[in-house]
Order: sequence, then C-alpha cells, then structure tokens
Amino acid sequence: MAKGAGIVERSLVRDADILEHENFVLDGIDVSGRWNTMLKSRVHASRDLQAWDAVRQNLVATSIDRCIQCGMCTAGCTVAHEIPDFNPRQFIYWVRTGRTEELKQQANVVWRCVGCYVCTHHCPKGVNTAEVIETIGQWLATVVPNRMDPAFHANHHAYRRQLARRGRLSLPMLQATFLRSLGRQHELWSPEMQKTVLKMLWDGRAFKALAMGRPRRWRKNRRHVAAQA
Amino acid sequence: MSREVAYFPGCSLKTIDRAYDVSTRLVARDLGLGLVEVEDYACCGAGELKGNGINSYYLPARNLGHLLRQGQVDVMVSCNVCYHELSRAAYAWTHQAQIGEQINDMLRAAGEPPMTQSASVRNTLDYLINHVGLEAISRRVVRPLTGLRVAPYYGCLYHRPQAMVSSVQVAGEHPEHPHFMHDVLRTLGAQVIAHPAETTCCGGKNLLSDEEIAGRLTGRILSQAKAAGAEVLSLMCPKCAGGLDALQPRAVKAVGEGARLPVVYYTQLMAIAFGHSPEASGLREMESGGLTVIQRLMRQLASAAPV
Repeated sequence: MAKGAGIVERSLVRDADILEHENFVLDGIDVSGRWNTMLKSRVHASRDLQAWDAVRQNLVATSIDRCIQCGMCTAGCTVAHEIPDFNPRQFIYWVRTGRTEELKQQANVVWRCVGCYVCTHHCPKGVNTAEVIETIGQWLATVVPNRMDPAFHANHHAYRRQLARRGRLSLPMLQATFLRSLGRQHELWSPEMQKTVLKMLWDGRAFKALAMGRPRRWRKNRRHVAAQA
Repeated sequence: MSREVAYFPGCSLKTIDRAYDVSTRLVARDLGLGLVEVEDYACCGAGELKGNGINSYYLPARNLGHLLRQGQVDVMVSCNVCYHELSRAAYAWTHQAQIGEQINDMLRAAGEPPMTQSASVRNTLDYLINHVGLEAISRRVVRPLTGLRVAPYYGCLYHRPQAMVSSVQVAGEHPEHPHFMHDVLRTLGAQVIAHPAETTCCGGKNLLSDEEIAGRLTGRILSQAKAAGAEVLSLMCPKCAGGLDALQPRAVKAVGEGARLPVVYYTQLMAIAFGHSPEASGLREMESGGLTVIQRLMRQLASAAPV
C-alpha cells in the first residue's frame, strides 16, 4: 500500500512527516495494521532565525516585518496558479517563525518567482513581497545551492557574468552562454530557434548584438554588479 | 522638431528588438518629438539584480545620473523592464533618503555622475498619450486600422507596483485595468478586443531557466486573447516579446494551437496607421506572423477604398 494511504486529505501531508510501522506495540497494546500510521509532531521547538536576519539586513526587503499573513499575495500570485507549492505567504511565515528547514526544502520552488509584482500590488500592509521573495531566493542560493535546479544557476551566472563584463545585455549571447553551461548548446539550432537565428544573421541584428560595446570606464562599475547583497 | 525629449532604448531595443526601437522613433518623429538618446548607457539591471539590496539600484541610477548630466530631467522609455527599473531607482532616490544617499555614494566612488535631482521617468505610451495627446495622434492617422481586431497586452511592469508612483500612476492609469493602450488603438481606428489576460505575467524573467512555466504562462495569454476574438496581440515590452513572439512555439506546445496568434508592438500599429510601410515599421522582424496580418489588412483596406 502506498505510504499513508489511509490518511484523509493525503495530499496535504508530506511523505517525510508520516511514520508507519510493520508491527507496533504501544503501551502493551498491539496497534498493527491501519492504526499504526502516525504523523510527526508539529511542535516547533527550535527557531532558526538566520533567514530572517539575512532578509532584514537587505534594505529592499525590510518591509517583510509588516506582514500580517493575510495571504493576498498568494491569492493573486502568477506562479502559485501554476505550481501549487509556490506560496509566498508561507515562505514569509517560515522565515519569520524560524522554520528554516521547511524553507530550505522548497529551495527549488522559491526561485521560480517571475517578479510580476502582483503580490506587492495587492499587499494591504505595504510589504514589497516580490522583492522579499527574490531576496529569500538569493539567500537560499547561497546556503543550499545544490537543491536548486542547474538551470537557475546557469541563468543567474549568465546574466551576472555578462553584466559584469560588458555592462550591457546581448540576449543572443546570453542564451548561448546559458545553454552552453548546461551542455545544451545544440538547442540553438533547434527548429524553434533556427528560423530566428538565421533571420538575425540575415538582417544584421546578430552583428549588432555582438558589437554592442560597453559603457566607458566600465571597470570601476563592475563590483556593484557582481556583488551579492 | 518642436520638442526634444531624452530617450532610453536599453539593450534589447539596441539589438534584437530593433523593431520596437525603429517604430518608436518613426512614431515620435511623426508626432514632432526629437529623441535624444541617453549617452553611454548601461543595462538597467533587467530585474536580475533585485535580490542584491542596495546594489540593485546601481545600474538604473547610473543611467539616471547620465541623463541628468545631459541637462535632461524627463526620459522616455519604451521597454517596460527598463521603465520599471529606472522608475524604481528614481522613486527610491526621491522618497527613501537613506537609499538615495547610498546610491550617490556608490556612483561617486565609481567616478560616475551622481543623481542631483529627481528624474522623471516616462513610459513611451504614457508620454504619447499625456504629453503629445490623443488628438495629435488622431490627426496623424492617414491609414485607419479599420476592422483590425487587436488585443492590447500590457504585461506586469508597466503599471505595477502601484506604490512606486511611476509616471503612469501619476497620469491616472487604472492600477487594475489599464486603458492607455486601448485608447491609442481605438484612436488608430482598430477594433479593441478586451480579454482577461491583459495584465497577467508572461513569465519573462524565467524565460530561459523555467521553460515549462514560461510556456504555460505565455500560452495562457495568447489563447485568452485569441479566444476573445483577436487576430493580433499588441504588446509594449521586449521581454514579453521574447516569450510571446520569438518563443511562441513553446506556448503552443504547452497549451495547444489556441496559442498561435501574431504579435506586434503597439508602436508598429501606430506606424502603420501613420502611413509607413510594414517593412519600415519593422514587421519583418516579428516571428509570429505579424507581417502577414498587416499585409492582409492593407489589401482589405485597398479593396474597400473608393476608386
């Protein structure tokens, strides 16, 4: 039988929180069978506030402290409609109540925020939710990078590298760097891309993208682009 | 030229989204605006440095510093991402004293011109409507887009977040149901098709890294616009164009044939209505069949015209 099959609303319970035993004797009573399924205690004993500290130190994210957990952010969220685990209200809750372990377990979800600012727009308390979530995502990238999709890192590094080196974004080069670092460079010649690439070579845009240059005295600007918060 | 205004094209418009730049310039020239580019521009940050605290303001503030050094205060921005980033930096500099000081410290340390006053960042759409005016626009229309069923699409960063008091909010744009593009398209004589996805996000930020979600989000927009009866989607952001136009095959893969819909910039529709050719308006550079729709419209208009 599947793990926790007897639990009503099974989808709301995480696998890791279900305890099942072959034969289980509790206070001298054999509770084998269906009744030996237990849920882990939900008592939250150890508050780990490192995420909260990191987020509050970031000037753009201090508004996290105004949150009243109303959930308007999640209600309007673009990504929550596509990924049920993406829940900005819950991410903020975990940060502020020190449930860092739960947060880290969703590291591969938090970064999927698309930055559309619906949450910030709807927040009745003036939390800049979009930038708070972005900040939490960046923090997770420094503490549990391995739990995040390689595509996240490839995208992140492609942007940072190009911004630091050239101060401007050449989107074809960005895409090439991104695909190369994932070993997917052949996709540049996929049927969906091929037409665009050839057209850009033909009408000169590809050349413009290669020759876009960089701002004057760019070297001195670099550290603000490459820096973390 | 009767009026001069600074113009910030940004990286996309300088390279692959040349069509938006070309059509913006055509329309501006017709409306008597002389565009002066912000010199020595850098990227606006493109939303990629948001999690970086104070450093996230650096690139947009640097651009505003260069704008002010040129003796300009108003700057017209076509790209929604640039518009958002520059507005965000201008707002922080003006209303959040602590951040403003730090911004200028960073700029001075790098030998760049600091921000000396609050810059006024204007979205091209807002500038055309509220500075030039719908009346002046309607006077320039020589080829009304009669019968063209256009779905306006604003994206996210044009009007959000409301608390940032960007130029479109000052101009009185509706924060939930923006209508400036509707107004322009109506002025051009097009039939405006309202649809539920006018301001839903295209997922452009994760266009590369989260293909699956980006495909579903763009698919949702295109299919809703098409289902509402549109034959072309009118947009105003090069980042949206990436997903809705160039990578439309992904949207079709995610939600089906209902997502196949030609996409053009609203400035291209303006250029067409002002009498320019589809080629001069950059329609050849659109990937999803915008050229075909406009050529068909022009044939219809030609055959309907009195001899």
